Amino acid sequence: MSSYISAENVNLTFRPKNRQAVTALSECNINIEQGQFVSIVGPSGCGKSTFLNVLLGLIPPNTGVMSVNGNTVTGPGTDRAMVFQEFGLLPWRTVANNVELGLELQGVAKGPRRETTQNFIEMVGLTGFENHYPHELSGGMKQRVGLARALASDPDVLLMDEPFAALDAQTRDIMQAELLRIWQEAKKTVLFVTHQIEEAVYLSDQVIVMTKRPGRLKKLFEVDLPRPRDYEMRVSARFNELKLDIWNELKDELSAGGDEDSGHA
Amino acid sequence: MNEWIYENRRKLLGFSAVVVFFLAWEGIFAGPVKLNEFFMSKPSLIWAGFMYDFMSGKVLFELMVSVRPFLFGFIAAVVVGILIGTFMGWRQKIGYALDPFMTALYASPLVAVAPLVIIIFGVGVPGKAFLIFILSVFPFIFNTYAGVKAVDQVLINVVRSMGGKDKAIYFKVIVPSVLPYIIAGGRYAIGRALVGILVGEFYAASAGVGYMIAFYGDMYAIDRMFAYILIMMVIAVAFTEGIRWAERTAFPWRVGL
Repeated sequence: MSSYISAENVNLTFRPKNRQAVTALSECNINIEQGQFVSIVGPSGCGKSTFLNVLLGLIPPNTGVMSVNGNTVTGPGTDRAMVFQEFGLLPWRTVANNVELGLELQGVAKGPRRETTQNFIEMVGLTGFENHYPHELSGGMKQRVGLARALASDPDVLLMDEPFAALDAQTRDIMQAELLRIWQEAKKTVLFVTHQIEEAVYLSDQVIVMTKRPGRLKKLFEVDLPRPRDYEMRVSARFNELKLDIWNELKDELSAGGDEDSGHA
Repeated sequence: MNEWIYENRRKLLGFSAVVVFFLAWEGIFAGPVKLNEFFMSKPSLIWAGFMYDFMSGKVLFELMVSVRPFLFGFIAAVVVGILIGTFMGWRQKIGYALDPFMTALYASPLVAVAPLVIIIFGVGVPGKAFLIFILSVFPFIFNTYAGVKAVDQVLINVVRSMGGKDKAIYFKVIVPSVLPYIIAGGRYAIGRALVGILVGEFYAASAGVGYMIAFYGDMYAIDRMFAYILIMMVIAVAFTEGIRWAERTAFPWRVGL
């Protein structure tokens, strides 16, 4: 029964002190096969990011079980890595030192650590910037560092929380193409949270539409576009058909009293 | 050569202005204005006065007298300031509760309590050290407090998501985020500590740089008095610039230092 990544009846309610409780996830069931690129779209505050954080092991669910490859998620693990929305780079570390953070925390020795780090810096196209500090980089380059850092500890699952939301449109297009290239090279299972339907369709094998808060799976779309994907595909009939279908599914959730207050719930 | 001048124009102009200032000071009493040595002095006399005390070893002696309370008071301020600031940042309620007191004490001219400090602690090293302590502790408290509050939760999550435990979070995120705040606090604290040592020695001392300024003032030995004032200025500038240099060297990732 169990798929590679599975969420079974996951419930999560935040109970901040002296404030109203917020149910972020309710009876959330999601199954994902190994090696797939899966996007999650949904209204703001529907619990998409929360879902990733639970899967990452940062937030324990109230009830229900998340598992990766048959192992129940009880905390952070090297089989999962996250690419953060605002990059999450340590400003006092150079590009190379940011990329090797995960390996360092795992206690990998300096020699092999440097070697691996260099490989991934090369993979994301940042050769020559090893000793730059984050403030010296553009947004796109910062997220390349974020991506290299997540890949460096060789996770099986890559979680991406609106990784390109802070980038301008052109940089975003470039980064999407780069991500597809790297994904094909690195062969990871990817869970990609985004607000952009077009981005979701372009990148993914499957697109999950979530309901408004409390979030659960509303509908799953198979993206039957061939790979490798190219930019021209975005104007194809099938691409736009999928986009429209997903939009129709999503728009009910947006109109029906969807709240835009808590973008990060 | 021209390029070198352009690149260093800031330092060159600053240095030239200082030289011009002293030349003008000297020049104005060389003819246009008659120097009344009871009220004023001029660089050549100040230099002579300085050399006189320097050669006899007096300058060094007075400095050493002032250094001890300075070190005790300042080191205590660093330690206590960081502890209180960290505590205020970690425990929000304590931070909120202490904030008005700390703000009031930081904002008010604490030299006002100097006589009381001398009454309680006496005229020795402890009194002066305590005065220096209360003057210089608040920049450390406030900057540590601000630094701890400013730690980016996302970065903590980054380290945690990669399997980092409390120790890793502490050393890889919290310390490097807070440290620049503390050092910047040190820059303000130094100036206040120097005020502390002067005031302490004005009130109750028989030696020390501050005492010598007061003593030579009473004696109308304006040239020597100026010599000790300038010594204090040089020390203050050296400390401030030294810390600034250390900041730039230690935190190359800080923008705009």
